[in-house]
Amino acid sequence: MSAANSRAASAPALLATNVSKAFGSGQQHTQVLDRLSLSIDAGELTLISGPSGCGKSTLLAILSGLQKVDSGRVQALGSELGQLDLRALERFRLEHTGFVFQGFNLFPALTALEQVELPLNYMGLQRDEARARARQSLEEVGLTHRSRLRPAALSGGEKQRVAIARALAKNPDLLFADEPTSALDAANGQVIIDILHRIARTHGTTVLCVSHDPRLVMHADRVLAMEDGRILSDRRNPTQPPSVGVTAL
Amino acid sequence: MVALARKTLLHEWRRFLPAMLAVGFAGLLQLLQIALVLGIFGSTSLYITGSSADVWIGYPGTQSVGQGRSIDADVESRILMDPAVERVEPYLWVDGDWRGPKNTGGVSVFVSGIDTRADGLMFAKALAPELRARLRAPDAVVVDRSELDQLGVASGQTATINGHQVHVVGITTGLRALGGVNVLTSLDTARLLDGDPVDDGPTYLVAKIRNPQQADAVAARLLGSTGFGPYTTWSARDFANRSVRYWLFDTGAGAGVLFLAGIVFLVGAVITSQTLVAAVNGSVREYAMLNALGVGVAALRRVVLEQAFWVGALGLLGAGALGMALMLLARGQDVPVVLTVPAALACIILVLGLAAVSGLAAMRSLRHADPATLLR
Repeated sequence: MSAANSRAASAPALLATNVSKAFGSGQQHTQVLDRLSLSIDAGELTLISGPSGCGKSTLLAILSGLQKVDSGRVQALGSELGQLDLRALERFRLEHTGFVFQGFNLFPALTALEQVELPLNYMGLQRDEARARARQSLEEVGLTHRSRLRPAALSGGEKQRVAIARALAKNPDLLFADEPTSALDAANGQVIIDILHRIARTHGTTVLCVSHDPRLVMHADRVLAMEDGRILSDRRNPTQPPSVGVTAL
Repeated sequence: MVALARKTLLHEWRRFLPAMLAVGFAGLLQLLQIALVLGIFGSTSLYITGSSADVWIGYPGTQSVGQGRSIDADVESRILMDPAVERVEPYLWVDGDWRGPKNTGGVSVFVSGIDTRADGLMFAKALAPELRARLRAPDAVVVDRSELDQLGVASGQTATINGHQVHVVGITTGLRALGGVNVLTSLDTARLLDGDPVDDGPTYLVAKIRNPQQADAVAARLLGSTGFGPYTTWSARDFANRSVRYWLFDTGAGAGVLFLAGIVFLVGAVITSQTLVAAVNGSVREYAMLNALGVGVAALRRVVLEQAFWVGALGLLGAGALGMALMLLARGQDVPVVLTVPAALACIILVLGLAAVSGLAAMRSLRHADPATLLR
């Protein structure tokens, strides 16, 4: 099956059209995103890279519904995010999105299993089903044997894997990752990259990752380079190591 | 459901301890204050609660037992006409000036002239039958043990009240008065001691009725006649409450108590809410993470409120245990402390209210839990 054919058949998972976002007011006005347009296909691992301050995290926040745009439109899974109120956005995130942040943000009081189970409770899953899903998700990131430990007893890499399991257990259509490897050493970083890659491949999840970690470039299906609130290059990796095909949107 | 609030409370108990202590001590202070106030001001209704009368008849507008004026003695026959009434007896209250054998100066005393028959209603619960019998002797009086020093007298000695000589024939306990000293005597002796020639009737008539449950109804029914001069009726419970309320609210003592309760509440709420705010701030990134995953702010607020509830409940538990121990200690030292069910309930509501207010204040900190701040 050709990847191009499957993309053409399905609507983009994320679609941003002429999106602008600025912070501050008056003298301190900073244009972070400047009439940016972007389309991201379902079931791919897309990497946004760029120097710090280029607006890549803001783009992630906007595409995931964590922040509103100043102008332009954002569609996620066919929903117009700008038209959803706060509650509807929460609902949308609960049903469709997973997040992995640079900080692991795990509750110190909960075991690995409970960290993963907690959001599932709020999704309305039965207790047994939530627990089974949490176990399965921890197994997928290779932490079954650590599932009864609290964060204090886990290494950095293990904590990030718990965070990924927490996002993964929701069976999200969209998985957003913000610098998921930058707090980790090389070996652990590689493990996380492999897991993210596998998620996109086996679950058909759209993974959007913001990072300046060069190792991730190798594994992404598509790499977007950003600078000053604009996309400079859009490069698609073949299944084999990178080619230099640049396509502007 | 993963019990996030409870697990966090257990795991980070050190962080929540100040809040629990604040809630606990606020509760303890309120509890002891209420118990002391009820104990001290409860003594103002001792005349009623220590007696077995169901209905009291006195001068209209009387605000507390010690402020009665004499009523027409003929009212007694009107009361007895009611078929529900079993017995009526007079009760005479005389304000006296006591001069003891020791050099104590004049002491203000409340002389209670009571029916000394063995089945007399007045002080039936507070006075031993044997002491009541001794009051039948002319000029015999009984005083409370705790006030012997103040009166400068011992059992068997003589003193004067309003210039008349009296003999202390017995010592009792539990008759401590507020603002004076109780002296019990017979109706006849009390009449002799009463220096005011205008007061010829009794200060009160107290009645026993056949069915004590109907006290309120009978009291209301007995009001129906005006042919005997001014008088009014209360059920014993009404009159006791009226007396306590008068002391609590009309003397300013109650205002002081309420003021102190307000201060304790405020201080407790400030400390508790600050601790909870710190606890929320400590977990704000995790809350933001949950919100990013779609867990609503309302659900997160419930977690904070639940924590506040547990802090309140645990604080209350500590306050209850410590409070009971302290009250037992106080009882052993003759300190009047009384805790009623409504008072205990008021304490519980106050403490949980304090926790709730603190939880609501802490909930505001959740506005910092903006998931966009997790992105860098």
